[in-house]
Amino acid sequence: MQETINGNARVIEDLSLLCTEADAIHHSTDSFGNAYHWFRLGTPRMLTRGAEILRQAEARLAMVTAYNRRQLSEPMQEVCYHFELDGVIYNMTVTLNGEWPTVPSITPLFANADWHEREMMELYGIQVTGQPNPRRLFLDEELDAGILNEAVPLSIMMNGACTTDLWERILKDKENPS
Amino acid sequence: MTSTFTMPLGPVHVALEEPVYFHLTVDGETVRHVELTSGHVHRGMEAMATQRNLVKNVTLTERVCSLCSNSHSFTYSMAVENVLGITIPDRARYLRVVAEEIKRIASHLFNTAIQAHIIGFKSLFMHVMEVREMMQDLKETVYGNRMNLAANCIGGVKYNVDAELLDYMRKMLDKVEPQVDEIRDIYDSNSMVLARTKGLGVLPREDAIRLGVVGPVARGSGLHLDVRKDSPYAAYPDVEFKTIVEQGCCIHARTMVRMHEVLESFSIIRQCIARMPGGEVTAPMRQIRTAEACARSEAPRGEVFYYIRTNGTDIPSRLKWRVPSYMNWEALGVMMRDCNVADVALITNSIDPCVSCTER
Repeated sequence: MQETINGNARVIEDLSLLCTEADAIHHSTDSFGNAYHWFRLGTPRMLTRGAEILRQAEARLAMVTAYNRRQLSEPMQEVCYHFELDGVIYNMTVTLNGEWPTVPSITPLFANADWHEREMMELYGIQVTGQPNPRRLFLDEELDAGILNEAVPLSIMMNGACTTDLWERILKDKENPS
Repeated sequence: MTSTFTMPLGPVHVALEEPVYFHLTVDGETVRHVELTSGHVHRGMEAMATQRNLVKNVTLTERVCSLCSNSHSFTYSMAVENVLGITIPDRARYLRVVAEEIKRIASHLFNTAIQAHIIGFKSLFMHVMEVREMMQDLKETVYGNRMNLAANCIGGVKYNVDAELLDYMRKMLDKVEPQVDEIRDIYDSNSMVLARTKGLGVLPREDAIRLGVVGPVARGSGLHLDVRKDSPYAAYPDVEFKTIVEQGCCIHARTMVRMHEVLESFSIIRQCIARMPGGEVTAPMRQIRTAEACARSEAPRGEVFYYIRTNGTDIPSRLKWRVPSYMNWEALGVMMRDCNVADVALITNSIDPCVSCTER
């Protein structure tokens, strides 16, 4: 017996057109029967079109997840956009270019994408083109962008606690107040 | 010509003891523009989650927040169950809902108490906290803890209740409910409370949709948004309750959503106690493959969303979550437009903000 998975047929059909690979689309349900649809878009450029489709259907952006495909310093990154419409979740995933990870901003379409995009800029070093407000969200300007791409050894992370580095920096700043 | 000044507010003690920094552009006593800076308690919890195994992450996620701690371990466990294909036993579904609703009652009462505190209505603050204390006693008796209940685990729940404990819970609810009913009337009719809350901190419906706000903030602006109804999980499909929606769009509307919801929660817990199925409370673990899944639930502050990627090991390759406050902060810019400086703390409290949740 085939299981029925809920969803907006129009949205599913339109988003499917943006997927080029054979295994790019799958549908699933959880044990309570709630539906999840997953779409892997051909290129990050198609994201704007995908977001427009969901905007027209009056979906709500629930979350954006950036992640590294392989463990630690590997460059292959992906971003997954999670949308909600009538209790059904639509996920759009884009694979980024390893050399120059860039996605178009969807903040013009979904105002609440602003924080999510700023967060992935600072944590994963992803460029978001057309982001209307590309300020830091949580991290200080002093920290390099893309901190989650790096494996920071515990000894470095705890410099302030177990070496004299931090103290020396304070003394230096005190001697040369800029 | 009018001149404006920039006024710093925070980072500590804006509404609660959590740090967020407001840059207010004020024109006399009137706020013209709000900008906020956060990140003071950013702990890198998502990076920590990818260094721990799935079981340890139940404990970690429960510590994202204190007031909705249970919602985090709950939703995280659901995400893991979705990715592994686990179906939890019926008794666990009910016990999860009981824990979640007890937390919701305590959380909503805490927020409304703080509102009274900011207004300067100290006796009401003390009274609401006293009533909430009974819920804290209930938590301590049933779970052994007052804040982090440690009720959830992957595949079910870690606690069980016998008939005596269920009877105790029922009696406790009988004691608390009439008092909450009385408190609800005070918030709905007291002139001092109404003068500071009605028509203030307005978030029009269109802005609520545009900013994608969730929880009581959305429902106070007329949006029918409740994950428990929209995509029912655990025992919510089996129980009857109303989604509380208010049209006022102001602080008062959000407060009333919370107060009515507390009474709905009493009814949900009672239904769960009455229908509590027997049997196991956990399902066995299954093999971990490379897969991805998400899960969401309705925490006291709104929708919590979890995404997990597994790579065949017991350590997730990515765990990401989005808390309700994350969506609600930007709404403050709309709510505070042209408000009085004196109302900033009150408006901030009306979104029931959680900074440690937001920043993780």
